[in-house]
Amino acid sequence: MNTSQPVIEVNNLHRRFGRLDAVNGLNLRVRPGRCFGFLGRNGAGKTTTIKCLLNLLRPTEGSVRLFGLDPSRDEVAVKSRLAYVPDAVAFYPWMTVRETLHYLASFRQRWNGEVEADLLRRFQLDPSKKTSDLSKGQRTQLALIGAISPEPELLLLDEPTSGLDPIVRREFIETVIGAYQSGDPERRTVFVSTHLIAEFEGLIDEFTIIEQGRELITMDADAARDRYRKIRARFSGPAPTASLPGALEVRRNGRELELLGNGNSSQLMEILRAQKPEELTCESLSLEEIFVASRQLKEARL
Amino acid sequence: MLFRVDFKSGKAVYLQLVDQIRYAAASGALRPGEPLPSIRPLAEQLRLNRNTIAKAYSELESQGVIETIAGKGCFVKDNHSPFTKQARHKLLVEKIDDAWVTAHQLQVDAETFLELTKERLAFFERQAAKETPESKNTNAGGRA
Repeated sequence: MNTSQPVIEVNNLHRRFGRLDAVNGLNLRVRPGRCFGFLGRNGAGKTTTIKCLLNLLRPTEGSVRLFGLDPSRDEVAVKSRLAYVPDAVAFYPWMTVRETLHYLASFRQRWNGEVEADLLRRFQLDPSKKTSDLSKGQRTQLALIGAISPEPELLLLDEPTSGLDPIVRREFIETVIGAYQSGDPERRTVFVSTHLIAEFEGLIDEFTIIEQGRELITMDADAARDRYRKIRARFSGPAPTASLPGALEVRRNGRELELLGNGNSSQLMEILRAQKPEELTCESLSLEEIFVASRQLKEARL
Repeated sequence: MLFRVDFKSGKAVYLQLVDQIRYAAASGALRPGEPLPSIRPLAEQLRLNRNTIAKAYSELESQGVIETIAGKGCFVKDNHSPFTKQARHKLLVEKIDDAWVTAHQLQVDAETFLELTKERLAFFERQAAKETPESKNTNAGGRA
């Protein structure tokens, strides 16, 4: 399964806007069946990258392949196999929900009416309502129905849940897991850019963090949580100044000591235990914490 | 049964599920022949990638804890652990080591620790005593 062709392959992608390098030598490989998190701060180049994947922007340099095809040459072949949900969705305002779905279905070879009906019920969307009368949450729900009903092999989500209320966000993610992922797992790949990382934590199994158009870290989510751990110790006296080789972000605060283990947590725990702490705890960093610390983590890996 | 997933525990999420189901099967919370939740609703409920659940189930199957019946789903197997005694001991020793380390960190002395393990054993025995009579009845029909 790992030998199969990547669904997304980006090699040395550059995209310049005037003097600004929005994307600056990015590499990505997304294997089929994965849920790939594409994380980065505002302006890191996430949306520009996604637009290059969709042939909405031409790369200045480098190459983009989806399903092994060049989206600028085989645009129809590529787009018929994927669906895209942007953060701000626009529909023709005079169409109803039903008409919008018909319209979207007319571009598709496949359209699963059962999934469509199921999701309309689940979201309690009124098919006769004009899209101009929908709330932002309902518009995103409609876009999601339009994206999942054709059963695409690749679901591209660009900040899909930003600006939505917590219940709609939760339903959105449950729908991606339930309605989308329950098909043939080899033909269900998710590529999601988000900064609401905690919500997607259980879904993401591999991620890339980008900064200034460049890859900072790419890791498997479980491996990352295994490698990066926060260790806290409290002592009866002032925290000892023992050397802690390889520890990142060591902070001393009176009797307390906090540090970040970088794949060497058990050795660090051993060193600290020898100092007879009153309390010693160790927990994994969440993906969000890894994201926040990513620049230091990158430096530590060099 | 209810599952809990903790991204900060340092253990891969699928292994957390594997452990919870193994312990549930060992403690009687899940009885032989009982079905496990289907992948899709469980994935939605825990908001986990369905691959994670599938990976946990296939791991449990290879450990002989559950079996998949085509078209019907996954079921807890009869409690015949396929591991050798040595392998079973080794698995248990890992858990005991963890508990000793935790005890040390929490400054619980050895005597109290041993006392607590006896208390827990008594607890499980009481539970089993409560469950056995009716479980015999419900299982006799279900497994025949």
